[in-house]
Amino acid sequence: LVCLCLGPGAGQDVGRSCILVSIAGKNVMLDCGMHMGYNDDRRFPDFSYITQNGRLTDFLDCVIISHFHLDHCGALPYFSEMVGYDGPIYMTHPTKAICPILLEDYRKITVDKKGETNFFTSQMIKDCMKKVVAVHLHQTVQVDEELEIKAYYAGHVLGAAMFQIKVGCESVVYTGDYNMTPDRHLGAAWIDKCRPDLLISESTYATTIRDSKRCRERDFLKKVHETVERGGKVLIPVFALGRAQELCILLETFWERMNLKAPIYFSTGLTEKANHYYKLFITWTNQKIRKTFVQRNMFEFKHIKAFDRAFADNPGPMVVFATPGMLHAGQSLQIFRKWAGNEKNMVIMPGYCVQGTVGHKILSGQRKLEMEGRQILEVKMQVEYMSFSAHADAKGIMQLIRQAEPRNVLLVHGEAKKMEFLKQKIEQEFHVSCYMPANGETTTIFTNPSIPVDISLGLLKRETAIGLLPDAKKPKLMHGTLIMKDNSFRLVSPEQALKELGLAEHQLRFTCRVHIQDLRKEHETVLRVYNHLKGVLKDYSVQHLPDGSITVESILIQATAHSEDQGTKVLLVSWTYQDEELGSFLTSLLKKGLPQGAS
Amino acid sequence: MTRECSLLLPRVCAALADPRQPGSDDTCLEKLLDWFRSLTEFDPTVELVQDNPCLTEFIASVLALPEPSPSILSFTLRLAGILAASESRFHHLQQEKLLVRLFGTDGPLNSAVWEDASVRSGWVEGVHSMMHHQPALYFLCNGGGIDVIFALQGDPSLFVASAASRLLVHMLILSVESETTKPLSTQDCDWPACAQVIIKHIEDSLQSSSASHIEQSLKLLTNLFGSCRAPWTEVLWLGIAKQIESFLTEETVQARHMLANLLLNMARSPVFCDPEGSFWALVTSALEHLTPVQAGPLAVGILRLYKCPQDVRIQALTVLLQPMDCILRAASQPLEYAGLLDESVSDPAAVESLLSSKSSGASLLCQTLARLEELLSLIHLPVDLPYTSLLRSLMTILQFCNGFLNPASPLGSTISRILINCFRVQRSALDVLAALSERKGCDTLIESLFNVLLAYLESPNTSPTVLKKTFQATSKWLVRLHELSCSNSQWQQTEKILEDVFLVLQKRLCSPCWEVRDSSLEFLTVLIKCLRDQDEFRQSLLSSEVPRLTENLLEDPESYVRASAVTAVGHLAFITYFAPESPVAGNEYNKESTVAKLQEILSADPEGFPRRAVISIFTKWLRQGCTGQLEDTEQFVSRVIQTVEHDLDWEVRLGGLELVEVFCSQTICQLGLPKCSYAPVSSAAPSSTHQNESLQIFCRTKLFRFLFRSLCDCDKPVGQRACDILLGLRGNFYPISTLKDSQGTEESPAGQSIAWLQRTLRQGSLAQNFPIGAGNGVDFEDPESMMLALGTIDLEELHDELNKSSDHVEKSPQSLLQDILATVGTIEENEADCY
Repeated sequence: LVCLCLGPGAGQDVGRSCILVSIAGKNVMLDCGMHMGYNDDRRFPDFSYITQNGRLTDFLDCVIISHFHLDHCGALPYFSEMVGYDGPIYMTHPTKAICPILLEDYRKITVDKKGETNFFTSQMIKDCMKKVVAVHLHQTVQVDEELEIKAYYAGHVLGAAMFQIKVGCESVVYTGDYNMTPDRHLGAAWIDKCRPDLLISESTYATTIRDSKRCRERDFLKKVHETVERGGKVLIPVFALGRAQELCILLETFWERMNLKAPIYFSTGLTEKANHYYKLFITWTNQKIRKTFVQRNMFEFKHIKAFDRAFADNPGPMVVFATPGMLHAGQSLQIFRKWAGNEKNMVIMPGYCVQGTVGHKILSGQRKLEMEGRQILEVKMQVEYMSFSAHADAKGIMQLIRQAEPRNVLLVHGEAKKMEFLKQKIEQEFHVSCYMPANGETTTIFTNPSIPVDISLGLLKRETAIGLLPDAKKPKLMHGTLIMKDNSFRLVSPEQALKELGLAEHQLRFTCRVHIQDLRKEHETVLRVYNHLKGVLKDYSVQHLPDGSITVESILIQATAHSEDQGTKVLLVSWTYQDEELGSFLTSLLKKGLPQGAS
Repeated sequence: MTRECSLLLPRVCAALADPRQPGSDDTCLEKLLDWFRSLTEFDPTVELVQDNPCLTEFIASVLALPEPSPSILSFTLRLAGILAASESRFHHLQQEKLLVRLFGTDGPLNSAVWEDASVRSGWVEGVHSMMHHQPALYFLCNGGGIDVIFALQGDPSLFVASAASRLLVHMLILSVESETTKPLSTQDCDWPACAQVIIKHIEDSLQSSSASHIEQSLKLLTNLFGSCRAPWTEVLWLGIAKQIESFLTEETVQARHMLANLLLNMARSPVFCDPEGSFWALVTSALEHLTPVQAGPLAVGILRLYKCPQDVRIQALTVLLQPMDCILRAASQPLEYAGLLDESVSDPAAVESLLSSKSSGASLLCQTLARLEELLSLIHLPVDLPYTSLLRSLMTILQFCNGFLNPASPLGSTISRILINCFRVQRSALDVLAALSERKGCDTLIESLFNVLLAYLESPNTSPTVLKKTFQATSKWLVRLHELSCSNSQWQQTEKILEDVFLVLQKRLCSPCWEVRDSSLEFLTVLIKCLRDQDEFRQSLLSSEVPRLTENLLEDPESYVRASAVTAVGHLAFITYFAPESPVAGNEYNKESTVAKLQEILSADPEGFPRRAVISIFTKWLRQGCTGQLEDTEQFVSRVIQTVEHDLDWEVRLGGLELVEVFCSQTICQLGLPKCSYAPVSSAAPSSTHQNESLQIFCRTKLFRFLFRSLCDCDKPVGQRACDILLGLRGNFYPISTLKDSQGTEESPAGQSIAWLQRTLRQGSLAQNFPIGAGNGVDFEDPESMMLALGTIDLEELHDELNKSSDHVEKSPQSLLQDILATVGTIEENEADCY
């Protein structure tokens, strides 16, 4: 079992997951993420490391995508439509539905802002999605005759899944990003005791025991509320899907409870589509949402309305969700520019921003931004960062290991130092090996596969005829010929094997020379040996043949005089492989010499 | 380096070297290195390091840290390498003893941090960057560094290992090319010292018993022959040729799979391409001895070569075709078909046993098919392919895959059992089939070919991805079929096939799977594009249910399908309403209702794809003159503009601008202006009546408001496009010399409002915001005002501003340095929080 993490640079670097697993001769790529921090080749994994010989389609048996975040699926259209992978891609139904929205969102921003042309097109995203096979939770999907995969619920975001990959009796579980505590709209990850050979787990929050999400949510609501109360406007830059919906539910219920009147808007017409998917995949959300769904659909928002560009200039308080999430183009940036100068307003950044974006700048505390045309934009509005990301913390990772009982653990998607601590903890508590390879490093794990062997009926019958009846408690040793053909093993009788393979049998004989001091004639010596053997080996058929040789079963003994010393007789003993025990007994017997009385 | 940057740099260096600061984002460090690379690339002088002593101070202080973080150490190694790329800066750093401490044996490579792959990677990259001059070469070779690189070829990190291999190639070339005084020859082979060490290492590794050492050397040689085509490479080759040759014949060598790439890189080099040379004998031997899977890439590579002996080519082709030959023989009764090949290069039994094995059969076929497709994509094939037999074997494979062929031969039945329902093979075979349609010479089989294709189109077992490929192949062969029937007048056959295709298409358009519906619509669009001028095609199509079903799909729940339906309906219109002699009579196809439906989608569809599809179809119609007389067109355009103006999707707005552009150019053309394009009219002023007329039309269609507002669009490409169009219009209405000066125009009320517009645009285009509701009396429908606006507003300035991508700020080194500084002191957890 071989595992390789791909990603630019050689180190444990956060972002852009892409892992290659070779298991029992099958090659599977787990996730195909991109790094949003770069706008050149470095944003995609270097796929040339996957195979130096031949096409990726021939090499890879399938690609599996764990969830719709771009650091897990962002390079997929590039991989399938530009690099040329033409094989099967698997993801869950919600991921397949939502993934293209995010890819499209990102493509538009990239092409818009940076004017890039060497980027995948809408058509490519569509063509890529058409190659995707959607899977259900706990459904065993047969990729080919030997390789099967199965998805488990991972929490984290809508449709996120952990995948079990199985070939024969070897298996790997890949967690993707997961969350072991339920949140406002999603449940906790769960997996059965599948005892994989290897568990590949993310370890973003490897050493953190995170403060409760409730605290962060309360904090968020408080800040929004205060701003709205003093008549300010709140801008929340988001990506189209995921975090946005979670925050919508949060605000919607809060507005309802507090009976607030300030309008909440969601820009770019994405609410409907996003909410459509949350409604469609209601079974993927948490129990509470599912239960209340009959009375009231959580995603049918009363207070959240579609945004029109004209609203940004309206007086009075309001809350606006706008894309893109890093404040680097489009509508969110446009609104930010309008509102930045007023200290009553607030911008809440709920996610990661890459260097160079306005989002990154204001988060690092910069308050005078140079915009186009050397204009300086003075940021007087309040800037808040709130992390709502749902990853498993150290406790959660340990919990998952307890659930799945893997034989080995491999940590990815985290920082080396933090991972080292967790690795020790895992090794101590579970007594399993834990690996944390850097990007570009292969990890080889030896498994003990039990290989099924078919046994021929004839051989089985023969064995039971001569031996005892089969007993489950007592393993029985069987002799036969092992035929390996077409990736399968069969144990048959040697005769059958010879027949099937069209081969002739060769006799293998062991020979040995034993020197005996005897002055008598050769035929007399033979007679003495014959009598001696007859006396010792009472149960065997010992024969003295007319040509002067002796046989005991298949063992043949001939005597000659020594060429130089007539007083020494040389006994040439030869026997077959089947009579090996008897043969060696006989030679040791003869080596002791003949008894004096024998004649 | 700008003054601002040189002021910021010392603080940034201090921050980076401060171990108390949290590690900077990896991307920041990468971008910082990018910047230094660009600074040093064309400037070999020592000034950069002399004027910015903070750089050497930074390196020294990182070296002084007891436990530097791997990421900072790696950054420092790479930075030092970039700086030392020029001799003068190299010496400067040497004087400060920095290089020896970084790259020498007492440096990181003998400390605990060396365990970290990023440090090893930084070391190799640093060395590679500096390796541009002899002093660097001596520094490394004499300091024992070269042994480190040899060892790193086997690094557990693939990134480090392959970087080390590339570095050795680079050093070898540098050494030979900078240190050799006379041309090298086999008789008088005096390699320079460093090259000698490397060559010795290659030779030793090739002779070693370790498979990984042999692989490393083969990889290195492959790299070398791929990147260096100098005559001395032949001298090097002659020293190792025997050894490499032995790898082909010795069964035990594990690295044989790497020989194909090596030989291919050599075959591309002019040094080895002499047809009389011994090299080609080696290639021939490789084709014979490598397994069919290993020999495939070599064979196809050889067939792509410009210069190559013909017999080697034929042999390569034989290797490629062997599996196809085997398929053909397995499927046929003895003596039924001749097979593909007269003789084979390697043992046909090897191919047979591979094909009849469950584990390798499908993958060998897939690889063979992929190579054949690659071959067919070449415009000029250097050898003749037996197209008919190839087509027959492809059909056989496809029939094996769907169980339509159960051959009697044992080999055939084994292969068919392996291939049944194998999607991979189906997809690959259909790709080759599509590529084959463009080659002439396999027309005799066309009828049975369509039987195979139709079986795939009809079968419920065909997976969506396979179906898509079947559609692609079918459309290509339908075009071919049409060409054929033109020449042999077998219209009946064509009609029958078309009828069958549309019957099955009807069914597929109703598939519950959106991928299938979408592929079906795309297929229909392609067919209309290629065959819309053919009577029998039009008749078959219009007498089927396909057009009605296509219109129904305009309301599909899946937006991708709606978009494809829009495109298909748009193309259908060319043969229903827009065709000069439309074959259908009556009101079955109502143009107005279709246009209304598309308009409805444009204004109300909640998703972007269908709206984008509508606007692009409208533009297509307009381009092809399908929108009626000028008046009708005017109304049409005006309606569209008013709909797309407020669209939330910038690509729809951009599509709207494209439509406007086409409309402007057509109107101006029709009204007889001297030039149809937007080229400025230099001398004679155009006739003013026509000018007035077109200006009035433009005002009536309200396109000026759309254009001017788009200048302040929050999405840049929209603003840029609008500006281009306005510039074009101005060129038409104003000869260059008559452009007005903006001063003195503010006297009239119109002048005042235009002056306001000019001020607003100047700010608005930057802020990407046009005041909503405010118009300050600007009458966008008044020809006089618009003429004034075109004449006075400085569109060139706006154009320049808009074309300055905002990246100009974001990407600037100054912004980067500021960002790094700003992050100092803030402990962020958001780095781990990926959206």
